[in-house]
Amino acid sequence: MSDLLRVDGLRKRFGGVTAVDDCSLAVAEGTVTALIGPNGSGKTTLFDLVTGYRKPDAGRVVFAGRDVTGRSPGRLYRAGLSRTFQQARVFPQLTVVENLVAAAGHRWWRLAAPRVSAADRRQAETLLAEFDLTEDADRIAAELSYGRRKLLEFAAVLMSAPRLVLLDEPTAGVNPVLVERMEEHVRSRHAAGVTFLIVEHDLSFVMRLCDPVIVLDAGRPISEGDPSTVRADPRVLDAYLGG
Amino acid sequence: MTWTGVLKGGVFVLTLAVLPLLGLPHWVLNMLIFVLMFAALASAWNLVGGLTGYPSLGHAAFFGIGAYAFALLLHGQTELTDGWQPFAWLPAIGVGTALIGVPIAAIAMRTRADVFAIVTITLLFVVQTLAFNLHGLTGGAQGLSFPVAPFPADTFERPFYYVLLGLLVLAMLLTFGTLSSKIGLALATVRGDEDKARGLGIPVGSAKVLAFAVSVGLTAMVGAVWAYYQVGIIYPQFAVDPLITIAMVLMVFLGGRGTLWGPVLGAFVLESGQQYLAYELGPSQFYLIAYAMIFLLIMLVLPRGVLPSIAGRLR
Repeated sequence: MSDLLRVDGLRKRFGGVTAVDDCSLAVAEGTVTALIGPNGSGKTTLFDLVTGYRKPDAGRVVFAGRDVTGRSPGRLYRAGLSRTFQQARVFPQLTVVENLVAAAGHRWWRLAAPRVSAADRRQAETLLAEFDLTEDADRIAAELSYGRRKLLEFAAVLMSAPRLVLLDEPTAGVNPVLVERMEEHVRSRHAAGVTFLIVEHDLSFVMRLCDPVIVLDAGRPISEGDPSTVRADPRVLDAYLGG
Repeated sequence: MTWTGVLKGGVFVLTLAVLPLLGLPHWVLNMLIFVLMFAALASAWNLVGGLTGYPSLGHAAFFGIGAYAFALLLHGQTELTDGWQPFAWLPAIGVGTALIGVPIAAIAMRTRADVFAIVTITLLFVVQTLAFNLHGLTGGAQGLSFPVAPFPADTFERPFYYVLLGLLVLAMLLTFGTLSSKIGLALATVRGDEDKARGLGIPVGSAKVLAFAVSVGLTAMVGAVWAYYQVGIIYPQFAVDPLITIAMVLMVFLGGRGTLWGPVLGAFVLESGQQYLAYELGPSQFYLIAYAMIFLLIMLVLPRGVLPSIAGRLR
């Protein structure tokens, strides 16, 4: 298995705080990798650096064998690297179908094409059926519950047929039934060949679903391995409980 | 396009097309000309301010550019034999101004929301100051003169009326085309969450610069017709007038941002209301206070505008 994503010596500083500090890690193709760590350990900043939302002060990001450091998020998205946000970000005034079509990664020369063509609609409906959102297809996204908006955001980033999906706390703020559904969706997409990198605080979710698990503390990885190894690692306990 | 939509549009345009033939008094036709002019302007502003969510306060600058471009094209002639001929300049003025709009949008649209509003209102005052001070080109405060349109006095309004109706239809068709294509979807994502839209690879930059260029091109064409209607001379304070910008914004807010019919409705209500108030309250400019009160009421009672509020009730 080759590395789909690799970061080397990545660093990002905000004023006096070094959020990501000389961080090197890799995500192998075909895995569901978890990124865990106490609050403030740099997980979301690392996501921002990898997906181009922020520029690193130093270091490299390599995606699918190419150096993509500093590329814009849009280019990375079209290259197959998509993400969701901690607070689900959907377009509130667009319908559910329109949210999906907007995320399909159309280029500027398609601006004159119909807003939602028959082909767009078919593609969206397949995903909506998979995510059990069919009945909401023509509702405005603002009318959906928070949990369903998270499902919608997840479904939307799959419109571009990504190779790697970064999920930022997919279960935060959603009810236990939806957590289970979220888990199923990750599993089925993983079976279809998508690689995942997941930031998550719900450790039972992580232990059930992810392998390997990478633990971040103070902006760099301190432990990595299968869930049971990581759980037994004293450095991880230290980081979480303070040593 | 639905059949009811086509029917609605057809009835609307036909009604307006028949009106001047009914022998209405000149002051009514004059009022209708300004209603049509503002309906076209508001529809044009809606492309940027409504669909894209960028509150431009600088559109009057492009209105003035269109007006001065037209006046300058006619300035050298002593008299006109064919009154319709100058209208042939409109497409060139529209396209030319749209091209001027491209670099301006590319720079100004790097800012957002309130900063964008300030940048564009600065543009308005820059253009107004230029109009006052480039004496060689604009004649400064003395105004810029050009030959009067040689139309017969009893039907003098008609050509302006029909050309403005044409521009309104053009603006509405462009709005409709935008709303029903991917560019409308892209603009809606810009309005909703521009950073997220960029992250989804949506061509945000091209979409908003295109919307701005088309919007200011339309605005300039309306400005040109306005200049022609000013019987032979235009002045900087009226050609580049902040009140025109404010009227466009108010009308779109009243009718409903981002909708096809909202700006038209807003223009019909506000412009006829303003003409009535100006008539009733006389030249005291008290009508401007009434105008401000209408705006406050809209923001309090119907913050989304008339049409979206009604649509919301019906859902």
